[in-house]
Amino acid sequence: MIAPDWIAAPLLLAAGSAGGWLLRTSWRDRQNDRPALVIAGWALLVADAAGAALALGVMPGIAAALALAPLGLLAVVMQGAIRREARQPRDRANLAPEPLEGTSRPWRGWVKGLLAGPLGMTAAMGIAFCYAVWMPGAVQTRLLIAALLVPALWGLAMTWTLADQRLLRSTAVLAGTSLLGFGLAFLKGMS
Amino acid sequence: MGRSNQTPKGGLYRPEIVRAVLSGHSVLGIAFAAVIYLVCLTGALSVFQQDFTLWEQPGLPRVERISDAAVVHAVAQLAPRVGEETLYVSFPDADMPRLRLTMDNGHEEHNWIADAQGRIVGEVDTPWTEFLTTLHIQLHLPRGWGGFIVGLTGVALLSSLISGILSHPRVLRDAFHLRLGGSRRLQEADWHNRLGVWPLPFHVLVSLTGALLGLSTIIVGALAMLLYRGDTQRVYALLLPPKPPVDARAAPLPDLGAMLATARAKAPLGDPHMMIITHAGRRDASVSLTQERPGLLATQDSFAFTANGRILQEKHPGGLTLGEQILGALGTLHFGWFGGVAVRIAYGLLGIALSAVTASGIHVWLARRRDKGRPAPQWERIWASILWGQPAILALTAALGVAAPAMIERMATGLWLGLTMASVIAAAVVTRVTDARIRALLRRMTGALLVVTALLHVARHGAHGDGIAMDAILATLGLCLTWSWRGKRMNDTAREASASVEPFASSAKG
Repeated sequence: MIAPDWIAAPLLLAAGSAGGWLLRTSWRDRQNDRPALVIAGWALLVADAAGAALALGVMPGIAAALALAPLGLLAVVMQGAIRREARQPRDRANLAPEPLEGTSRPWRGWVKGLLAGPLGMTAAMGIAFCYAVWMPGAVQTRLLIAALLVPALWGLAMTWTLADQRLLRSTAVLAGTSLLGFGLAFLKGMS
Repeated sequence: MGRSNQTPKGGLYRPEIVRAVLSGHSVLGIAFAAVIYLVCLTGALSVFQQDFTLWEQPGLPRVERISDAAVVHAVAQLAPRVGEETLYVSFPDADMPRLRLTMDNGHEEHNWIADAQGRIVGEVDTPWTEFLTTLHIQLHLPRGWGGFIVGLTGVALLSSLISGILSHPRVLRDAFHLRLGGSRRLQEADWHNRLGVWPLPFHVLVSLTGALLGLSTIIVGALAMLLYRGDTQRVYALLLPPKPPVDARAAPLPDLGAMLATARAKAPLGDPHMMIITHAGRRDASVSLTQERPGLLATQDSFAFTANGRILQEKHPGGLTLGEQILGALGTLHFGWFGGVAVRIAYGLLGIALSAVTASGIHVWLARRRDKGRPAPQWERIWASILWGQPAILALTAALGVAAPAMIERMATGLWLGLTMASVIAAAVVTRVTDARIRALLRRMTGALLVVTALLHVARHGAHGDGIAMDAILATLGLCLTWSWRGKRMNDTAREASASVEPFASSAKG
């Protein structure tokens, strides 16, 4: 395979930095919108990935750009870091959103854990297996996309159930999805 | 036109949704922080698996190109030992310039190295690299359980990334803010958000692929239970090349040279990558050969041969399904093994960044507790012992791996587990030491151990080409960790002082 190594890598890093610098310049100006800079910044980042795809092959190029451009962007972040004197820990902390701190009971925590964990996984598998069985296309493609769907959907289910305060709703949706997904997949079988 | 500085109020970023999602983000992060941190840290190091393999056993012959005759000769030397086992032949390439042969009977592996003429010159002996990668892949638990926990960790990380974005209404506006040295909470929150946001596509990619790799056993198992009465082989058969019918009668070793020549003639653009010989010496032997092409992520040309050289299956880039391409690219994409040293370094740095995101998330939580007058000094110490204790323990195992490889081969898992438990328990019960001091001590210890590892390696193996660059990197990193960051130490001391008065100030207020 063509290795980006020491020729393409600096270019990908530099494009990431340049795109980041344009975006930072635009967003730092709190008084004015500067859409041209924003568009140029994002365009440079997209061009970074597109150029890498052309030079190194579509998938290796995009993957290399996704790994190298963020380092260039983070360099811009670090270059613009503001240093302050150590101070008492209440300054500006109020600006950050605070998580909900209700009178949550331990049993609710356990139920949420069960919903986010085993039931979320079952619901994700139900949808994924349904996809593998019912969607058209080559069996390998359906299987691999379904396999990718399992962690992706499980992650989404985890996010939702941990945020949702209505346990009955989460339980009903996840249990219903699991039953429906597994049931439909079982009905048709793999072809 | 002026721009509003107000936080967006509509849609997903309504305050009550943000607070609810942030609550879930916080709970998930706290619950999984230690294992996410460990998996990310060992993952960042496992990216350099090939480099560590060369470093741990330098001096073996480098093979840039290998002839078919040499491959056949290497396999022929092992053939009498193959029996029922499967033999894997890994061809040399730019990242791993060695011809490796692995024999696997399903329970244990034996690995050999051959030179450019195909002569077996020794066994692979890289216990520390194996310890590190096994820790990353299955936490040294049985494959099924360990893989599942690592997969679950990947899902938790993926969920944390989603909730992290959803709970940050100013994700773009603040995308370049990094305020260092002020309040600890603000500084850690800035690190957490900046290191989390810009490499987000990378973080999603590695957590998704990692989760899938870890969960693959349970996914296949569940699918088999649902559709094939638990027969997992029928699921794997959908993805793997066909096999000849069972025939255990003895037969000579297949003509591998002819198979290599056939593959080269049919796919001249590809370079051999891996050959898998199953049931060598039987009539139902099969040989699978995969080739790599430039500009593609997955191995794209593949051939499945019977013992007499008949082609059972043949695939080329134009004929691969999307699923086969994804399957072939999963591991490569997850570990960054596709773009040479530069991509590996980028993967390693971003893996460290993901570890730092996890660490700073816990720091934000701990600082928030202090801000609210509910400090948790015991958890602060425990987290400090994990944060820098794990690198120190890994560095210690690396040093021992160089000094006494046989010992590390037998005891690395026990040593890691024992030291991890001891460091966490000590941090929990020893109340006289602050978390800042634990961090400083363990950081310096990590640095010193890295320097010792490099010196031991040079003393044992000399300034060999395959190892000296890694030795230089380890020594430099070690020196940086040991002697630098004076400013950080001063900041830690200042924060320690402010933290010690803060609970009193809060309780006085409240």
